[in-house]
Amino acid sequence: MAKVFASIGEWVNERAPGLMPVYRKHMTEYYAPKNFNLWYYFGSLALLVLVNQIVTGIFLTMNYNPSAAGAFDSVQYIMRDVEWGWLIRYMHTTGASLFFVVVFLHMFRGIMYGSFKKPRELVWLLGMLIFLVLMAEAFMGYVLPWGNMSFWGAKVIVSLFGTIPVIGGHLVEWIMGDFLPADATLNRFFALHVIALPIVLLLLVVLHLAALHEVGSNNPDGVDVKHGPKGNRWSPSAPVDGIPFHPYYTVKDLVGVGVFLLVAAFIIFFAPTFGGWFLEHDNSIPANNLLTPAQIKPVWYFTAFYAIVRMIPSAFGTAVWGVLGMFGSIALLFALPWIDAGPVKSIRYRGTGYKVALTVFVIAFLCLMTIGMDLTAEYFPKIFGAGIDITLWENVFGRFMTLTYFGFFVFLWLYTHLGWEKTKPVPERVTMHD
Amino acid sequence: MANEVVDHGRRRFLTAATSVVGGVGIVAAAVPFIKSWEPSARAKAAGAPVTQSLKKIEPGQQLIVAWRSLPVFIVNRTPEQLATLPKQDPRLVDPKSDGTSAEQQPKYAQNETRSIKPEWLVMIGICTHLGCVPDFVPAIKPEPFDPNWQGGYYCPCHHSRYDMAGRVYQGVPAPKNMEIPPYHFIDDTTVQIGVGPEGAA
Amino acid sequence: MKRILPAVALTLGLLFGAQPAARAEGENLMPANVNVQDQASLQRGAHLFFNYCVGCHSLKYVRYSRMADDLGLTEQQVMQNLNFTGAKFDDPVVAHMPAEDAAKWFGKAPPDLSLETSAKGADWVYTYLNTFYLDPKSPIGWNNTTLQNAAMPFPLWELQGQQTAVMKPGTSEVEKLELAHPGKLTPAQYQQASRDLVNFLEYVSEPAALQRHHYGVWVLLFLALFSLLAYFLKKEYWRDVH
Repeated sequence: MAKVFASIGEWVNERAPGLMPVYRKHMTEYYAPKNFNLWYYFGSLALLVLVNQIVTGIFLTMNYNPSAAGAFDSVQYIMRDVEWGWLIRYMHTTGASLFFVVVFLHMFRGIMYGSFKKPRELVWLLGMLIFLVLMAEAFMGYVLPWGNMSFWGAKVIVSLFGTIPVIGGHLVEWIMGDFLPADATLNRFFALHVIALPIVLLLLVVLHLAALHEVGSNNPDGVDVKHGPKGNRWSPSAPVDGIPFHPYYTVKDLVGVGVFLLVAAFIIFFAPTFGGWFLEHDNSIPANNLLTPAQIKPVWYFTAFYAIVRMIPSAFGTAVWGVLGMFGSIALLFALPWIDAGPVKSIRYRGTGYKVALTVFVIAFLCLMTIGMDLTAEYFPKIFGAGIDITLWENVFGRFMTLTYFGFFVFLWLYTHLGWEKTKPVPERVTMHD
Repeated sequence: MANEVVDHGRRRFLTAATSVVGGVGIVAAAVPFIKSWEPSARAKAAGAPVTQSLKKIEPGQQLIVAWRSLPVFIVNRTPEQLATLPKQDPRLVDPKSDGTSAEQQPKYAQNETRSIKPEWLVMIGICTHLGCVPDFVPAIKPEPFDPNWQGGYYCPCHHSRYDMAGRVYQGVPAPKNMEIPPYHFIDDTTVQIGVGPEGAA
Repeated sequence: MKRILPAVALTLGLLFGAQPAARAEGENLMPANVNVQDQASLQRGAHLFFNYCVGCHSLKYVRYSRMADDLGLTEQQVMQNLNFTGAKFDDPVVAHMPAEDAAKWFGKAPPDLSLETSAKGADWVYTYLNTFYLDPKSPIGWNNTTLQNAAMPFPLWELQGQQTAVMKPGTSEVEKLELAHPGKLTPAQYQQASRDLVNFLEYVSEPAALQRHHYGVWVLLFLALFSLLAYFLKKEYWRDVH
């Protein structure tokens, strides 16, 4: 057996001698720092979910009908009449939500350990582009089942573009191809969701990884192993604190994959709607242009950004400010490598100000999520008594959190550019905490 | 770095065990995707037995009904047409339908007329060569493709020929007699396609 | 990182804690406590549905044949006891009444109930079925505290009996419902019957739930085994790393 494989390998190698060096460069001779912790699982897990979305997505398109008249029925057809169709659909819907769980944690790790800092700005920018495309992809996928939340979600999100002065009104009609979300909208979203955006996404993922492997991985200590001492048991010229990605991180990621699949399988088999958070109740009602659901709110992963739209009031006769705020909240993430000029990467050796600021930022983000989910409106009366003015207090709370979100970036700029930060000494070599 | 003794046996065993279990997992995960290509409940419902009244089919006429989207020929054969059948045997590939065509009909239709009742032919009208629908050419008269034509089916795609029982002639591309679906008579004038007679396998 | 974990836990707690409330929207719903694994309950619920509901409400995504399989009924039982419309065994369940006629009589067509519990929640449907009361002011003679001015008369009244509303003094708000005329069933029996009916609708909204539970346990056990092996494999390889 081993001989057969060896001779096949030889056969291929003779004809494509360039393949083996590529494999070595990215796997067996890609030296990753040996001190990755829990937070470093989410990159490979994101790749796993991407593969899952593509495979299950291909099989869903085999039975899905992208028309306003047939879409809702075809989803039920998949759920009931197609053998195992329910599993394939739940893998796709659960995968969508878990994609964002994984990507949020992956991004947070990048912020926490300064993975966006020089020389990895390009890696970060490509990653942010992936996040942006992923949001577009998720939004369009959410419209496809053509339930009532799909319909009104499409209407509201597309209407965001309507706030743009002068061209807004026409832009909305152009995006929908009609005066309300309709057949034309569904068809173009379908085309973008299953072909155009996945291609862009795959390309960006390849570039993201290629850019990463050029400069090498960061690590929880923020120590650049590539520029440290050389020589390990695998190669005299490799970084002393680097280990070959294969087999060490492939087997380690396998453990992550196992645990992640356990969580995913539990949701898929025992809680596929996740209490209405992954699959919303109102989407069990077919799209109805005369009946707005009682609560219009986006799926959980958009809620923080959506809350910013709601919290910024209109001014000077236009509602564009909220939309600008939302896009601004994402644009600031793009600019993070230039906002944060701190010389130290990892949170382990950064100033107390940074640690506090990042914690407050995360809390603000979570609070914005609860506002976007309408949980604040629901729980404020329970906590502070039924008599309170919900709208007023939600606005006070939400605007404060919005300011906190943006305040993080302002603080970070001042803190690092004006040299307020008192950092701790960064060790010469990575540390292991086992 | 003194205790650097790699236990290759353990390593190889764990690699193999994880690979095997992972491989089993991937194969198991592929099953639902492969199974999702099976005819769905809707397709099966559409492929449910079809009931057809025979009252309006005159002797010598053919009616085509769809069963599982397949064209099913129902022919009311005249005594003259039935009389031609035994005479064709020497020119046929498998006149008794017990050789290469043994699986082309249920047991209860494995006879000279390939039917339950001699006059009623119920047959899937798909040429056994490459799946075209043969033309019904019932008249007993010389035809360009056969000067000694005794009535039967002629496939326009690759000129395969069959007699009035759907048995294939020698020297044509089609290898087998046309297929007889399971069917039974609910009463004298009603046939149900898709289910065999009670007690028949 | 250690400071963030409690925040994450808090958010998750909020999400799960919020779940039933989000569905109920502040109303006081009675817990339906349905269990789609209880086949006997599903069979009783199916009987109620096909005797009292299918006149007006379809289950257009449910085939009689699939239902027979899942509920442990034979083709004969379903076709004789449940199918009164002459539909074929493989056909979906369609109401007796044409939708246009129904729209004329009730003002709007009775909704298809295939996804009713997915959309509203089992608790809501259960509460709805227990809160009909006689209302002389309503054109159909019935009203419901769960869905004010529902356009639906109460078809199960002969089972539950007739409830009347006790108003809060000086208002048109319902304080509580009282059973004015008992029906064929005792209140406890009626609660069980309506629970069976809701259970059947819960099954109908997602027949795959039966398969999910059946396979889920095995998938989790398998993945646990895989994770364990992967963990040992990782430990073995990482002996090299100091």
